[in-house]
This record gives sequence, structure tokens and C-alpha cells, in this order.
Amino acid sequence: MIIKGGIVYDPANGIYGEEMDLFIDQGRMAEQAKGEEIDAHGLLVMPGGVDAHAHIAGKKVNTGRIMRPDDSRIGTEPRTAVCRPSTGYTVPNCYAMGYRYARMGYTTVFEAATPILESRHTHEELEEIPIIDKGALTLFGSNWQVMECVRDKDLSKLAAYVAWGLRAARGYGVKIVNPGGGEAWGFGGNVKGINDTVPGFDVTPAEIISGLAKANEMLHLPHSIHLHFNNLGKPGNYTTAIETLDLLKDIKPSRMRQIVHVAHMQFSAYGGTSWRDFESKAPVIADYFNANNHATMDMGQLLFGSATTMTADAPLEYGNARLTHNKWSNHDIELEESSGVVPMVYFRKMLVNAVQWAIGLELALLVNDPWKILMTTDHPNGSPFVNYPEVITLLMSKPKRDAEMATLHEQVPKRTTLAGIERELDWTDITIMTRAAPARILGLQDKGHLGPGADGDVTVYNLRPEELDTSQDHALVKKALANALYTIKGGVVVSKEGQILATPPGRTFWVDAAVPQADADRLMLDLEDKFAKYYSIQLSNYAVQDAYLPHAKVIRAGLPVEPLSEVA
Amino acid sequence: MRTITITPLREFRISVEAENISPDKFAPLNIEQIKSRAIWQGNRQKTLSDLFAVEGDDAPATPEEMTIKLVGDLSSVKRIAEGMTAGVVEVQGSVGMHAGNNMKGGLLSITGDADDWLAREMRGGKVVVMGDAGNYVGAGYRGEKCGMRGGEIEVKGSAGVYLGEHLCGGSIRIEGDVGDFAGAANQGGTIFIGGKTYLPGAEMSKGTITVKGEAKVLPSFQKMEIVQIDGLAFQKYAGDLVDNGKGELLVGVGSP
Amino acid sequence: MSETTLIKDAVCSFCGCLCDDINVEVEGGKVKRVRHACRLGSSKIMGHGRIENPMIRKDGVLVACSFQEAYDRAAEILLKANKPLMYGWASTSCEAGKKGVLLAEEVGAVLDSTATVCHGPSVIGIEEKGLPGATLGQVKNRADTIVFWGCNPAEAHPRHSLRYSSNASGRFTPQGREGRKIIVVDVRETRTTKNADKFVRITPGSDYEVISALRMLVAGKGDIVPGEVGGVSKTDLADLAATLKAAKFGAVFFGLGITHSRGRYKNIDNALSLVAELNQHSKFVIMPMRGHYNVGGIGQVLAWSSGYPMSVDFTRGMPYFNPGETAACDLLARGDTDAALIIAADAVSNFPRATAKMLANIPVVQIDPYENPTTLLSDVVIPCAIAGVEVEGTAYRMDGLALRLRKMVDCEFPSDEEILMGILESVHKQRLLKANEGA
Repeated sequence: MIIKGGIVYDPANGIYGEEMDLFIDQGRMAEQAKGEEIDAHGLLVMPGGVDAHAHIAGKKVNTGRIMRPDDSRIGTEPRTAVCRPSTGYTVPNCYAMGYRYARMGYTTVFEAATPILESRHTHEELEEIPIIDKGALTLFGSNWQVMECVRDKDLSKLAAYVAWGLRAARGYGVKIVNPGGGEAWGFGGNVKGINDTVPGFDVTPAEIISGLAKANEMLHLPHSIHLHFNNLGKPGNYTTAIETLDLLKDIKPSRMRQIVHVAHMQFSAYGGTSWRDFESKAPVIADYFNANNHATMDMGQLLFGSATTMTADAPLEYGNARLTHNKWSNHDIELEESSGVVPMVYFRKMLVNAVQWAIGLELALLVNDPWKILMTTDHPNGSPFVNYPEVITLLMSKPKRDAEMATLHEQVPKRTTLAGIERELDWTDITIMTRAAPARILGLQDKGHLGPGADGDVTVYNLRPEELDTSQDHALVKKALANALYTIKGGVVVSKEGQILATPPGRTFWVDAAVPQADADRLMLDLEDKFAKYYSIQLSNYAVQDAYLPHAKVIRAGLPVEPLSEVA
Repeated sequence: MRTITITPLREFRISVEAENISPDKFAPLNIEQIKSRAIWQGNRQKTLSDLFAVEGDDAPATPEEMTIKLVGDLSSVKRIAEGMTAGVVEVQGSVGMHAGNNMKGGLLSITGDADDWLAREMRGGKVVVMGDAGNYVGAGYRGEKCGMRGGEIEVKGSAGVYLGEHLCGGSIRIEGDVGDFAGAANQGGTIFIGGKTYLPGAEMSKGTITVKGEAKVLPSFQKMEIVQIDGLAFQKYAGDLVDNGKGELLVGVGSP
Repeated sequence: MSETTLIKDAVCSFCGCLCDDINVEVEGGKVKRVRHACRLGSSKIMGHGRIENPMIRKDGVLVACSFQEAYDRAAEILLKANKPLMYGWASTSCEAGKKGVLLAEEVGAVLDSTATVCHGPSVIGIEEKGLPGATLGQVKNRADTIVFWGCNPAEAHPRHSLRYSSNASGRFTPQGREGRKIIVVDVRETRTTKNADKFVRITPGSDYEVISALRMLVAGKGDIVPGEVGGVSKTDLADLAATLKAAKFGAVFFGLGITHSRGRYKNIDNALSLVAELNQHSKFVIMPMRGHYNVGGIGQVLAWSSGYPMSVDFTRGMPYFNPGETAACDLLARGDTDAALIIAADAVSNFPRATAKMLANIPVVQIDPYENPTTLLSDVVIPCAIAGVEVEGTAYRMDGLALRLRKMVDCEFPSDEEILMGILESVHKQRLLKANEGA
């Protein structure tokens, strides 16, 4: 395939809006190729979108569907010759997930959090999602084996467990959510800060985070730890964010990347002492990210309207439900985690929601380096992913932000600095925040760029970057981003002008990390004991079997170190 | 006034979905166009004239000017008058489920019985049933907090269970007996029941339910004073207190 | 020479407990002995007389035929129907369920599971209130207070108490049964009440009011609660409320006794709120005691495929969900279906007689390893391999945990999944033929 004459943005390879032809050969970017010609003259071309943090598959997503027939009945699209039926808005069915991401020009999406015990379910759903490549991050932060290793300061056994857990879960990376809190919630409690002791386990969240970060680096995992801070969603929690980030400053990453990726930073950039004096601390957070290079984050942008909150931060969800008198699902997972699901609606005239909306944007606009901050809405917590074009146009257009701000609660200017920010992001920034940076942060070598050998995932948008004023014509930009002119996945046109043309299955990335046999053996003694005494299933039935990953893409890591390689 | 009369050509064994039969849908069309409107029977798409005889005035009009008469046994025909905003739909016979779904205005009258989910999620207008109504009269959709938000429903006969579930506004009047759990999870609106019911107002937070006949009352309702309405005595209750509800339940005292 | 193989840690495919510690001895290609399973599970795994070959009814008599003939006739029946019902699914794998959804979409059918006669009301309750739950291991390791409401696990889920609940011991519950308070709420005494510390007998049909009274007492609003509710004295109810509030970790398990008594889904709705409110005082979870081993699984498959876990109407190309209208018993009771495919369930035995009689009026395709009352009404009968004994696959436990079923022995019959694919292929072929004829 040849994509002719596009205005190409490939920041990872130093290309910032150059007119050039692109070649795809046997599903990969190449120097030359023959075949189908796509006319992209003058049009915006970037690598396929990479979403590093969304809740797209697994038990909590399905719980969201089951408890929300009111959501499933929105957004229904009938079966066609190519597509299965679509349903849902904040909790779409699997087919809608794939089609809607593809229409927007996204080709890779990672599920943000799955407990090992329930990973089989996650993979069943991931397999049902058409088109996109995917992976799942595995939860470790409230896990008994992890906490015991941390308590005993046994780093090599911890690393052995992380490797074992990723293999059992066919997971891609280490996810940590409100560490220790998930265990405290097992009896209805929570942890109040990173130095609080987790009841029954004699460890603190700070120790869990540092321990897992070190183990992550011992294993040379492609991604860093991916962290949802303690105290998320609470006024004044920005101090927890800074404290936690400082913890990790001096740990050396094993690869050319961050030591920690912070999930949905918006929810952890809060000032004030209560909802009454609630205010944004985005400037403080942004300053920290500007002054330090060991961390990255994603926005977690909130948009007005319907959402479904779902997270392993179960105590937070219980709080949400009580505050809003909403239906509430909770699911605690033996020895491993907790989670909750609560439908939400965010209102312009509600001061807290309006400030939350502003915070996400402030973060993205105040952090100087776009490689440090990804554009996400923590789908479906902040807003469904189909609203990404809304977020992008808010970042690119000050007039649009001003128009929006005029409709909000009048106190908003007193609680955030957004009104005074002039900066408007450009296509280079956006390509970095939605393609190049998520790929680099996740450690996906062949994604997010268009250099030879990269996966042949390319998006052509019906926009002329050289003629367009993205500040004034934001409505046009939003419309064009919602339905890519061409979405190309692995050299196949999967979507054209919003119509799905093909639904090839995507691949599921997971990491197989090697550890010294001695550590693995020591670990097994612990695990055999846990399965004998505490788990409600047998060890032999625990791990995800091959049958669940018919389209696996394995990345090797661990010790001894091999160069990052792939085995189909 | 533009009148269209629709008669089923035969008995329908598999239910028919007729959301295209409404004043709003018919108003701008002539008879030939109306006849070729889509209608569904299970997984088969048909045209109106496949299943019904259609007669009447040919010239297009506004919804307000429309009267649609449905004559015969329409008890297997669902979604008649769905979403109507104005005009009149008269069913001379019994009607299937979801009649008057999402109605916003106009009049839907039924001489016979109405099946379940009559006027689900109604917003405005009026529904009158001379016979009995089924379950979920004026109710909402699964999982939604608010169902019916406005309009009036009147049933001369009895109604089934879950009457007005999730009612947020408007009024429902049933002259006869009503099944279990009338007015469940209500956040507003008024319900009048001429006969008896069982455990009305479960989890209601606002609104008024008046039951002229007997009613088993939940243990989470607080007995207040006796009030007189049109010469009849009613025991007033406040509830449902499980959720600090501020609803009002009135239950007839003694036989009417 | 006949070899004996020992299969360890097989998953039992009978009830929602999905016990996965079953040891099976296989000799000469047959299951010889089953260890650790309860008698229900053992019986299932040991197997018994089954349907020997596919059959089609000709002149009122079921006559043997080939699998292909059976697929073709089944496809013909489904294609001809305006509103076919595809019912059952609870005793086969998710893999079969996925093919079922595909077939239902393809022919425009209504797909429903046995939840419709079991925990369907629980699903509706969950749609109102959510489900504050946990995995069974949480109960094993933490619960000091367990309530069984309207269920009788001693009979219906025999190993539940030892593996997961009353008699299980775990990290924070080393004393097992000794360290627990077991409370049974039911309309009569059962075998389960014999292992309980407290039995609360309620008047049949009064679950809803009793739960409302409990909610009031838990919230400290007991003043207005009358002296007796549902046949239980206020003192006893107050006692129960206090016990629940004093729990360190409480679990409520419930079954058909409450889902199918007066109030139905409102009962569950109310129970879910009670448990949510108890979380303000102590830690509490609630869980439905799923009957069939994979009714949970088909619910998961349907939900991720269509957005809804049961009673999905695909006739108009878009999934539509409205139990009371789209559930199997609704369709049958109203005569609003003109063909049925019954798989992995015994519809005739599941439904009330009046509803089951409807099946006699329409063509029925049965896919099942065993003869049962549904066979008598069937026009096409297709024997299948048994998931969990002869075919691998996925099943979901009552707490939503997915496990992989083993294949223990070979079987000459195709799996449910293969049969559904065979019918789907025949549907495509027949459609193509018809289109070409028209051309």
C-alpha cells in the first residue's frame, strides 16, 4: 500500500508535518512498496492512535453493562454485512468498542487494570473486540504475595512473583491502584496515605510502590509501573501525588523511559480541604513534571454528561455511590484486589465537576513537554472514548475553551487558572500525546511511529493542516477526528469515512519475563501454600491457558536480559 | 381534521411492532405512502398494507389535525402511537404492549384493554383506557431512575403490577384494583387507585399515592393523621422512610 | 490393555459452585471413578444413558438421521420462523454460547437462558441497585457472619459450605464454622437450617416487608416498625439487625426462595439495598446462588456481545432487552414464538405446565446429550458431547470467576459449539440458495 502525499506527523522520527509518501509492505512500514494507492494529498496523516489507559474489557466492564441496560440501549447500531450489532455509550459491547476506536483512527488500546484471578475473563472479552491490537495491565498493588515479599524485603522473590503473575494473567505490565487500600477494603477500610500501615500486613503503600517499581526494573519490563495514587478523588490529594512521585525519584529505570506512569492525573490534582473550597492544583503538579523527568502521566479528562466510573479503587466507588445516591456494584477479589462500578453524570453547573473539567486541560497545557502527558479520559470514568475529539479540540483551541467556560458554574475562574492559559496545542503535540508518547511509555517499539519496521497502522484525517486554523475551526476539526478518512491497520483499510470495511482480529500483547530458577522455586513454595489454604480454586486451574490467546504477541523480558524481542 | 382508519387483515400470531403508526409519522404522508410504511412482525419487515387495511383522507396534514382510528383486535400490535406529540389515536378494541411509549402530547384512547408498558416513559398528553391495563402502566425502562415525567393516564378498569414504577411526574388514575408494588421508587407525580393494591410506594421519595380501597402498607411508612377527601376518610402515611422518602401515601379507611 | 489415567483438579460442571478439585479416574476411555465431587456432580461426570444418534420427526415419530440432515432441518426451521426462541445455554460452555449469539443474530431470534426461571429477577434487581459482591474466597477468608436467604445449599449446592462458606476456614477465619454465625431465613425448616445458629422463619411472600423492616432497624429508625412483620417479631428482627451490624464481614447468599416468591425482583432489589446500607456499619457482600453451572457464563457472553445478560431479542437486527416481554416464558406464555431451539436445558421441565405446553404447538430443535421431557416434543434432536467431560470450554462460577473445563474422555459426538456452527453454515447455504433462486 502507498499513502500518497499526506502531511505526515511522525514525531518519534523527527517528522513534523512534512509532505511525503508512506509505504506499507506485508503489514509493516517500509521504504518502498507496491499495491493499493491511497490519495492523501494535503491531508493530515499520523500513526494509528494508541490508547494507554482505558477500561475496555473484563469483569468490571461487563458488570457495568449488566447493571446499566439504560446505557446499553443508547448508541445501538444494527448488524450489517460487515459488523455485528453495537450497543452502549459509556459501556459499549465488545464489537462497538473495536468499531468505534477504529473509526476514530485508533489501532491499539490497552485495558487499564485486571486482577490475575479474573484475567481469563478479560482475555475472553479482548478476543471479542475486533480490529484493534490490545494488551492488559495486571493489578499487583493489594496482593497478599506482593505485600508479604515487600514486608520481608525480598525483592528477588517479588520480581519472581511479578513475572509469574504476568505469565499467569498474560498481562503486559504492572498496574497499581490505591495500593494497600484494596486489602483494607476487604474489611471495609481504606488507607489514608502512603505511610499508613495496611491492616494485617505490616507494610505501607509507599513500600509497596517502591518495591514494585524496583521489581519492575529488575525484570526490565517494557512498561514502567502504572500507578493510580492513594487518596484519589479527595480534596487536597495533590500532596499525596507529589509525595508518591518523590518516593520514586532515585530508582533507575532499566530502559529509556519513565520509572512511573501516573494514571488519570486529573483525579489526583486537587486542592482545598473539602468539596466547598475545592480547587485545582494542576499548576503545582505541572511544575513538578516540568522539573522532573522520572514520571509521565495521562490526563484522565472529565467531560460533561454521562459516564460510568469503574476502578479498582473500591472505597472510592463506595463513596461515589453514597454521595450521588446511585446504584453501586462492588467486587472484592480474594488475595488480590477490590473494585467498584458506579454510574455518574457530570454537570456544567456543578462547581466541583466544572473544576475537574478544567484541571485535566490545565495539566496538558501547563506541562511543557507533550511526551510527558497523554490524552485520555480514563474511559469510561471521565467520559467515553468516543469523545476524544472533544478533548483534542479543547486543547487546540482557546476560543473553544473560552466558549465552554462561559457555560460553567461562575466560580470556576476562582478555582483554576485555565481561563488565563493562552497555549494552544498543535498537531505535533497531539500526535505525540495520542500516538508517539503512549507507545514509548508503554514500551511498544513498533507502535506510535511510521519508521520502517513499525506496524502498518496509519490514520488519514480529512483535514488540511497547512490550510486549517485549528483554533478557529475547532468544530471542523472535531468532526473530522470523529471519523477518520482512512484507518489503516497492519496495511489493511479497516475504516473509511466512518464506515467499517474490514474486521480483522487484533493481537494481544503480553510479557513473558524470565527469572532465576532459584527465586521461582522459592516463590512456588509460597504460592502452593496460598492455594492450599486461601484461594478458592486450585493452582493448576489458575493461570490463563493458551486457548484464550489465539492471537498472542509475546514480548520477552526479565533476567538474564535479552534485547526486547517478539515471538508471534 | 384528517382521519385514517386502520383494520388488521387477520389475527396476528406473532406480535407486530407498529411504531410507525402515529399522528406524527402519518401526518406528512398520503395514503399510498402510509400503506408502504415499514412494520415488523418478528424478524420480517413488512409494509403496513401487508397486515392492515388502510383507508381515509389522502391529503397530508399536521399531527394536530390527525385522527387515527384502529378498529379490531390489536392486542398483538405493539408500540402504537409511540412518541406522538399531537393528534388523536383511537383504538376501538384492545391494544398490545408499549402503546403510547414516550408520548409527548395528544390523546390516545383505547376502548378495550391495554397490554403491559402502557405509555412507558410518557412525557405529556393523555391516555384513556376503558377496559383494563396490564403491568408497568406509565413505568420507566430497566435501570433508569426516572420513567414517566408528565401527562395523564386514566384506566377505567384495573391495572397490573409495578404501576408507575419510577414515576417522576404526571398523573395516573386507575378506577379499579391494582397489582403489587404500585408507585415503586417514585420521585414525583400522582397516582390514584380506586380499588385495592399491595405494598404501594416502595422506596418512593416524593409524590402522592392515593388508594381508595385496601392496601397492605410497608413497615417503613409512618402513620400520620386521618384526612378527609371528598367526604371520604383516608389514613395518611409518610414514606418510604428506608431512604428518607418524602412521599405521601393515602389509604382509604373502611369500605367506600 | 486398558490404561487408567488420573485427571486431577477437574472442574465439575453441575452447579454454580464449579468445584475445581475433582479427581477423575479414566479407564478404557470411560470415566471410572470420581473423587471429591458431591453426589450431584459425581452423577453428572459418571454419566448415564444418552441419546444415541441425531433424529428428525417424520410422521410423528423420531427417526435416526445424519448430523448434516439434522443441521439442515434445524436451519430450515429457524429460517422459516418469524420469531424463533433459542433457549437454555446454562449447561454448556461459553464457547457454545458465543456461537449461539452469532446464530441468533443471523436468523433474527430471541435468545434467553435459564436465568429466566431462576435468577432473572436477581439480574433485574442488579439493574436497579448494582451488586455489592466479592469472590467466594473472600467469604472463606473473612466472613464471620453468613445469611442464607431463601436457599438450601445443603441440598442444592452440597459442597458450598465446606469449600466457600459456613464450614470453610481461611486466613482470617482459622476457626472455620466455630468462628461464624450462620443465619437462615426461610419459610420452612430445611437441611440447611440444621447447620445454622439462627433460623428466622418468615411468612411466605413477606420477604420484601421483612427486608424493609430490617433496613429501618439497621438505620436506627426502628421506632415506626410495627411489632410484627412477615410473621417475625420486632424483637427478633432487631436482634437480627444488630447481629448483622456487628459483623466483621457478612455475606448474604440467596436463592429461588426469594427470587420467585411474591415481590420477585423487588425482593432482590430491596436485599441489595439492605446490603449496601449494611456497608455503612460493617463489611457486607451479597451473592446469588446460581443453579446451573454456567448460567453465569451465558450471562457474561450475552452481556459483552449485546449489552444485556439475558432475554435478548435480535429479531430487528439490534439487541432489545425487556424481561416481561423478551424472556422465554413471556414468549411461550403468549404464543409469541413460532419455533424453538432448546440447548443445554430441559425447557419442558423448567417452565410451568401451561407455558411448556406451548412448545407442543411449534417446531422444536433440541441439542442435548440426554433424553428428557423436551425430547418428547422435539422435531429435531441432536446429541452432543458433554462440556466439561468430553469437551473443553469456559464456565463462570456463581461469583463471576471464569474457569476452564477439562476434557476427560473422547466422544464420537460433536460439541455444542460444532453443532451450532453446523446449523449456522446450513443457514448460510440455504440463504444463498434462496437468493440465487430469486436471481
